[in-house]
Amino acid sequence: MSTPALDEHNLQGNILRGYAHDNVRHLVLSVRDATAARAWLAMATSGDAARSPQITSAAPWDDKPSTCVNVGLTHAGLASLGLPATALASFPHEFAHGMASRAVKLGDTGPSAPEHWYPEWRSSDDVHLVVSVHGDDRRACEGTAARVLAAAGERAFSLRATLDGAMLPGDQVHFGYRDNIAQPHFAGVRDPVDRPDRQPLTELGTVLLGHATPLENVRWEIPQPQALGLDGCFNAFRVLEQQAAEFEDYLSASADQILADPLVDELLPPGTESTWDPPLSRRDALRELVAAKMMGRWRNGVPLVLSPLSPTPNPAVGPSQLNDFGFASDPDGLACPMASHVRRSNPRDARIVQRSTNRSRRIVRRGLPYGAAFDPDQPTPGPRGLLGVFLCASLIAQFEALQYDWINLGLQDPRITGTNDPLTGNNDECYSAFTIPVGTSSIVLRGFPSFVLTRGGAYLFLPSMSGVRHLAGMGR
Amino acid sequence: MNVKAWVTQLVQRLLVTYWRRRAPIAVAHTPWKTAPADNLQLTMNLVMPLTDQTAVGRAKAVKAVAANIDQLFSGLNNVGTVHTARFDLIGGNLCMFSVFDGDFTNYIRDFICLFGNVFDALVGGLVVDPPPCPCSEHPEAFIDWVIRHDAFQIPGDLTSLFPQEANLENLGRDLVLLLDQNDNVQLGRYSGYPGMSVAQIRQATGVEW
Repeated sequence: MSTPALDEHNLQGNILRGYAHDNVRHLVLSVRDATAARAWLAMATSGDAARSPQITSAAPWDDKPSTCVNVGLTHAGLASLGLPATALASFPHEFAHGMASRAVKLGDTGPSAPEHWYPEWRSSDDVHLVVSVHGDDRRACEGTAARVLAAAGERAFSLRATLDGAMLPGDQVHFGYRDNIAQPHFAGVRDPVDRPDRQPLTELGTVLLGHATPLENVRWEIPQPQALGLDGCFNAFRVLEQQAAEFEDYLSASADQILADPLVDELLPPGTESTWDPPLSRRDALRELVAAKMMGRWRNGVPLVLSPLSPTPNPAVGPSQLNDFGFASDPDGLACPMASHVRRSNPRDARIVQRSTNRSRRIVRRGLPYGAAFDPDQPTPGPRGLLGVFLCASLIAQFEALQYDWINLGLQDPRITGTNDPLTGNNDECYSAFTIPVGTSSIVLRGFPSFVLTRGGAYLFLPSMSGVRHLAGMGR
Repeated sequence: MNVKAWVTQLVQRLLVTYWRRRAPIAVAHTPWKTAPADNLQLTMNLVMPLTDQTAVGRAKAVKAVAANIDQLFSGLNNVGTVHTARFDLIGGNLCMFSVFDGDFTNYIRDFICLFGNVFDALVGGLVVDPPPCPCSEHPEAFIDWVIRHDAFQIPGDLTSLFPQEANLENLGRDLVLLLDQNDNVQLGRYSGYPGMSVAQIRQATGVEW
C-alpha cells in the first residue's frame, strides 16, 4: 500500500493541530439552493478573503489568524449539494445513516434519546452543513460567521441554529476538570502545545483517510472520487449537556458514604488532606478524591497514577508531566481505577482484553464548553455542556467502538465489564456502579445517573481543501 | 412427490413471490442492545457455500482449514473477546461458528487485523462469492460480506422482530418472507453462564485473560 505524502495546505485545519482559540461559533445549516451553496464553497476556497472568509487549511502559520473557518457536511448535506449516488454510496454506512440512527449503539437512549435532542437536530436529514468559526475573541467569531452567511447569500442556506462555545477560566469543563491535556501526537507533525508523551506517535490514518492506520496493514476505504475522499476526516459532532449540580451533589453523597466505610483510612490516610494546597476538610478532600477517581485525574489535571493521594504533591507534577504516564505501573487500578474515564477511553499501555486495540481507537477532541460557568457555591440553572468535536478516520472503528465497547460496556477489562463510564456513560440510577479498588478490596459507588446527556449531534465529513473544491465544482 | 403436494408447493411459491413484491419486509440485521449483558456472548454463524460441493471439493476445504487452523486459533486467542469458534462442513458449506463479546464489527475488524491474511488464504478460490481480497485493505467491504453470510438470528420473541406489525395474524406472512430472504437462520441459543464476558470467565477460572 503506497502512502500519500502529507500536504498540510490541502487539509482542513484543526485536525492535526488545534487552533487553541478560546471561542467558537458553529452555524448549523440546511442547503436551500445547491448552486448557491456550491458557489459559496468555491468562494470560501478561492483565496479571495474579501469575497468570503476562507476555509482554514492546516498549513503552519507565522501569525495566528484572529478567526479560522471549517466546514463539515452530513451525508444528507453531500446529497443536497448534488453529489452523485455512486459517490454517496462509497461513504461508510454509519456516516450515511447518521448519528441519530446510531443512538442505541452510542448509548443515546432514555433522556439522551434523539426525541429529547434540541429541535435543530431532531430532523437529522435537514442538517446539511456545520460551519465552525474559531477565534480568540467572541466578537471576531460573530463577525466572521456573519460574513460567511452574507457571502453565501440568503439563497444558499437556511440557518437552523447558532451554537456558541467558549473556554472556561482555567481551561476547564463544567465539572471543574481541566481539559485539553491529552491528544494524539502525529508522526511528522509538530504541534507547539504538545506535551511530552510516552505513548508511541500516532499514525496519520487515525484521522486522515488514505494514510496508514494504527492497525497493521488496515486502511479505511476512501470515499470516491479520490479528490473528494483522500485526506478527509470524520467528525462526530455532539452537543453534550453536563448536569453539573447533580454531579456536585453526587460527590457530596459519595464522600458521606466513604466516610462511613471501613476502608476510608486506607483509601485516604488520615491527615493527607492537610498536606494539600490549600488544605481541605476530610469530607471535602474525599469529594475531590471521588471526582479524581471518576476522571482518572484530579480536577487540576494531575494524573492519579503520578499522584494518587494529592492534587498538589510535593514535588509538584509540572505541566510537562501531565500527559507523560502510562497505566502499566498500576495494573490493579489502585491509583487510577480501571473504570475511570481517562483509562476507559485511552488505556495507553494497560493490559486490555482486545489486545490489538490499545492504540487503534484513539480520537482527536476539539470541543469547547457552552453555557454559563457553573459555580457550586452559587449554582445557577443550565443548560451548559460541551460542543464536542471528536475527529477520526473511521467513525465505526474508533468513535463508535469507543462508545459501545469501552465507555458503555467496559469490555476492555473483566473487572469493569458490565459497567458504564461514571462521567460520560449512559448510566441509570438503578444499575450504575463505579468500583474504586482499595488495597485488596474495593469501595463501590452506586446510584448515579447520567451526568452527561446528549442533546444533539451529527456525523460530519470534513473534506480536504481539494475535496471542498470538488464539491464546489460539481454541476459545472 | 405426488401431484397434490407439487401443486401446493407451486402455489406457495407464487404466493411468496406475490407477498415479496407487494409488501417486502424490512428487518434490521442485528439490533443493538443497551443492557450490558445483552452485548456479551453474541453469535456469528458464517455460512460460506463451496464452489465445488463434491466430495473432492469438500476434501479441499478440509485440507485448507487444517493447513491454517493453528494460525486461526492463535489469532482468535489474541482477539481476546472470543468464547468459542469452530469450523464445520455442513452439506456444501464451509461454516465458521463463534461466540464473542461486544460489537460485531469490532470483532470482525480485530479478526481481520490479526489474521486477515490467513482468512484470505483459507477461503480464496474455495467459496462462492469470496470476500474482497486482501480483506485488510477492504475492512468495511469485508464486514459487509460477513454480514451477508452470517445466519439471520431469530429471537425467541418473534413479535420483537416486527414491532411495527400491529396485527399479529400477519406474523405468519412476515416470518415466511423473512425465511424467503434468509436461507440460514439461528433459532435460539443457550448459555450456561449468561452475562459474563470471556475475560471474566478466564479471570474467574484462573486463566490468563
